[in-house]
Amino acid sequence: MFSLPVWVAVLALVYLDFPIRVGTAAICAHGQECHAPSLADLFDRVIQQSSRVHGISSELHSDYEQYFFPSKNHIGKRKCHTYSILTPADKENAQRLGREELTEVILRLLGAWGDPLSQLHRSMTQDQNQDFNHYSSNKALEMSDMVHELRSGVTKVAEKMKLLGVISNALGYMSSPESLAPSSVSSSYERGDFNSIDHHDLLYCFRRDSNKVKNYLRILKCTTLPELDC
Amino acid sequence: LQNFWTFWVTSPPGKPKLTSCRSPEKETFTCWWEPGSDGGLPTTYALYYRKENSDAVYECPDYHTAGENSCFFNKNDTSIWVNYNITVVATNALGSNFSDPVDVDVVYIVQPHTPENVTVTVMEDKDGPFLRVSWEPPRKADTRSGWITLIYELRVKLEGEEEWEEHRAGQQKMFNIFSLRSGGMYLVQVRCKPDHGFWSEWSSTTYIKVPDYFPRETSVWILIAVFSAFIFFILTWILNLKSNSVKHCLLPPVPGPKIKGFDKQLLKNGRSEEVFSALVVPGFPPTTSSDCEDLLVEYLEVYTPEEQELILEEGKDLQEGCLKSKGSPSDSDSGRGSCDSHTLLMEKCGEGEGKEEKHQERAQKGKRQQKHQTGWEEGDVSHTREDVLSPDMSEGRVKTWPSVFSPLPQYSSRPLDHQGSLETARQLCLSDSLFPPPSTSSHLSYNAKEGLALGSGQQEFYLGKKQTHPSNPQSQPRWHLQAHSDFNISSMDRKQAASGLQLPGFRSTEYVEVQRVNQEDMVILQPLFSSSCQRDGHLQIGQGEDYSKVKGVDSGNMLLLQREVEVKREEEDGDRYSCDIQDRVTESCYTTSTAASSQVTGKPTSCAGTAMPVQEEMVLAANGYVDAATMLL
Repeated sequence: MFSLPVWVAVLALVYLDFPIRVGTAAICAHGQECHAPSLADLFDRVIQQSSRVHGISSELHSDYEQYFFPSKNHIGKRKCHTYSILTPADKENAQRLGREELTEVILRLLGAWGDPLSQLHRSMTQDQNQDFNHYSSNKALEMSDMVHELRSGVTKVAEKMKLLGVISNALGYMSSPESLAPSSVSSSYERGDFNSIDHHDLLYCFRRDSNKVKNYLRILKCTTLPELDC
Repeated sequence: LQNFWTFWVTSPPGKPKLTSCRSPEKETFTCWWEPGSDGGLPTTYALYYRKENSDAVYECPDYHTAGENSCFFNKNDTSIWVNYNITVVATNALGSNFSDPVDVDVVYIVQPHTPENVTVTVMEDKDGPFLRVSWEPPRKADTRSGWITLIYELRVKLEGEEEWEEHRAGQQKMFNIFSLRSGGMYLVQVRCKPDHGFWSEWSSTTYIKVPDYFPRETSVWILIAVFSAFIFFILTWILNLKSNSVKHCLLPPVPGPKIKGFDKQLLKNGRSEEVFSALVVPGFPPTTSSDCEDLLVEYLEVYTPEEQELILEEGKDLQEGCLKSKGSPSDSDSGRGSCDSHTLLMEKCGEGEGKEEKHQERAQKGKRQQKHQTGWEEGDVSHTREDVLSPDMSEGRVKTWPSVFSPLPQYSSRPLDHQGSLETARQLCLSDSLFPPPSTSSHLSYNAKEGLALGSGQQEFYLGKKQTHPSNPQSQPRWHLQAHSDFNISSMDRKQAASGLQLPGFRSTEYVEVQRVNQEDMVILQPLFSSSCQRDGHLQIGQGEDYSKVKGVDSGNMLLLQREVEVKREEEDGDRYSCDIQDRVTESCYTTSTAASSQVTGKPTSCAGTAMPVQEEMVLAANGYVDAATMLL
C-alpha cells in the first residue's frame, strides 16, 4: 500500500525512537543542585538487581539439573570457592553482624564471583556438545554483567551509608577478590578444564551466594531504613 | 499385609522414606518421613543428618514437636544456606534400614503459614462500591527485619460460583476489588509465598456482602433511552400533524386545469359534450334584454398624439391604474398584470367596478350579447340580438371592452392569440371617470405610445390625448381612428392605417364618437362633446365631458362601431355602438364596415377627413371587447 520510502521512514521512527521516546535529560543541569538518589532508592535498586541475578542463576541451575543427570550425590563433594568467606547462616548471626560487616560480606561475595562467572560464560560458549549451551551462555553473560553492576551499586550504597553516618568509616574492606578464593578452586578455574559438571557445581554455588547477597541486602536495608515494606 | 505367615516371619524394617521437609519462617524446619514396613517387629526410626562440608553426623534433635515420624529442627540447629544431608533409619530387632538421603537447603524449602487477619470491607467510590482486602503476614515470618520477603495472592469469587478470581498483590498487604455485583456475596482468600519457596495454604474464607446499589452507567443509559423515546414520540406526533404539508413538500401535487367551469370529474366520467357544455357560462350570451346600464359600457379613450407619440393620460386617477407600460408583454392567456386583466382594469378604472365586473363577466356573454344586441338600426342581421342594442346605441357611447387587448380566455382561443400581439403595444383601460357612478361605461385608456406606427401588422390607434383640463374642450377634437390591422385575431389582412393622425389632446377620458365614415370606410371619430348619446344619465353633453361611444350606425345616423371578431369559427360579434351624434356632427360620415357579421352602415357623406382604413372586418376581442385596434370600421 505504501511506497518504500514511507516504510523506511516508519521503521526508522520506530527503531530510532526518534520523536516517540521522550528524551532523557540529565536531572542535574549545570549549576543546578543535583539531587542524588536517596539511600532508599539505592537500596531498592540493588535489591531489585540482586533479585534478578538470583533469578537467572536459579534458572540456569535448574536447566542444568534437568538436562543433565540430576545426581544429588555430587552435592556432598561440592565445594564452592567462596566457602572461605564467612557469612552469617541465620538471622541472629546476620543481625548480630552489624551493617558494616554485612556490607563487607556482600561486597566480598560479589567480588568473588566476577571472574568465575566470566569464565563460566566463556566455557559455556566454547562447549559445543550441548545445544542448549547457546541459550544458557547468554544467561551466563547477563548474569556476569549484572553481578558487576551489582557490585558497583552496593559500593555506592556503602558510600552513601558512610556519607549519612549510618556506618562508620572503619570499613576496611578493600581486599581484592582473588585473595578470597581458595587456590585450589581458582587454580581449577584457571586450568580451564571445565565441563558440565563444573558448570553445574558452579551454578549451584552461585545460586546460593546470590541468594545470600539478596538476603543480606534486605536485612541491611530494613535495619538501616525501617519501612513499611520490611 | 498381615496374614498368618507374616505373623511368624519377621524381617528387618522396610525402608523409610523422607517425604518432605519444610520451613515456615526460614528459621526452623521440619522433616517428615514415611516408615516402611516394620518387619513385624517394633521398629524405631531415627533421623540423621550431616551438614555440608562436614562429616559430623547429627541426629534429629526433636522427634515429637512436629508429630509422628517427623523431625523438627529448631533455630539452633537450623543453618541457612547450608546443605543438609538427611537420612532416616528404621531399626527393629532384626535390622535397620536406611532411607535414601535427601539434600535440603533450608532456604529453598520455605513454606510460610497462611496470612493472618484477613479483613474485607466495602468501600465507596465515585464509580461504585469496591472491596478492600487487607491482611497480615503469618506471625512467625519475620518480614520486618527483612529476613524473609513474602509476596501475597488473593482470590475472590461470588457465592455459588465455581471459578475463583485470583489476584497477585505483591508485597503489599492490601488489595482493592472493583466491579462488584450489586447485592452479591463474595468469598475472599489470601495466601503468601517467599520469593523463592512454596505457597502457603489459603487462608480461611472471609465472607463479605456487597450492598445493593444502582450502577451509574445503567442509570445514564436508561436516561438516554427515555429521552430518545420521548423525542421520537414528539417527532412522530409532529409529523402526523404536518403530514399534509410534508406530503406537499415531498410530493407536490400536480397542478390541474384551472378553467372556470371545467369539471375534472365530468371529464373523467362524462362525455366531452358535457364538459364543454359546462364551460358555457350560463347567461351568456345574454338572452334577455338587459339594461343598458347593466351592460358593460365601455368607452374608448382616445388620446391625441403629440409628436407622434401618445401621451399617456395621467389626469384622472383612473388612468393611473390603467396605464401600462408599452413594453408590457401580454399574451393571450391568463396572468396579466393589473392593466392586462380586464377585470382589474375595470376595477382600477373607477366607478362602476362592480358593474364592470359584472360587465366583465358579461363580456363573455354580454359582449357578444351586446354586439348582437346592438344591432344596427338598420337592422343588422348578423347579430341576433338587437333588442338591447338600441338603448346602447342611443347612448352614443363607444363601447369598448374593458380590456381590449386582453380577451378573456374563456371566450375564444384564436382571437386571443392574435390579439396578444397587439396588446403588447397598447392597452386599453376603460375608465369610467367621465361618467357618473351609475355609469356603467368603462373606459378604455389607451396607453399605447407607439400607437402610431407600430407596424404594418398592427393595428394602432392613434389616440392623442391632450393633458388638459377636462373642461378644456378642444376644438375639433377629432381624431381618426386608425387602425392598422394586422391582427392575428383575424387572419384577414387589414388595411393599414394610412397615417397617423395627430389628434389633438383630449382629456384623459374622452370618448370618441364616430363622426363620420368616409367613403373609404374610415371612421372618423370625434370627441363626443355634445353627443347626444344617452346613456341613461351618463351623457353629459357639453359639460366638458367628452365621451363618445361608438355603437354603431343606425338609421338615425348613428354610428355604430361595429366590431367584429373575425373568428374563423365564425364567432363573430360585432360591437356596435350607436351614438347619436347630433350636435357636433358636422359630417355625417358613416363608416360602413362590412363585417362578416355585422355592418356598419351609414349614410355616406362627404366626409372629409382623414381616411381611416376601414376594416371590413372587425376584430372582436374574443371576449367581445371592442378592441381599439378593431375600431376600424
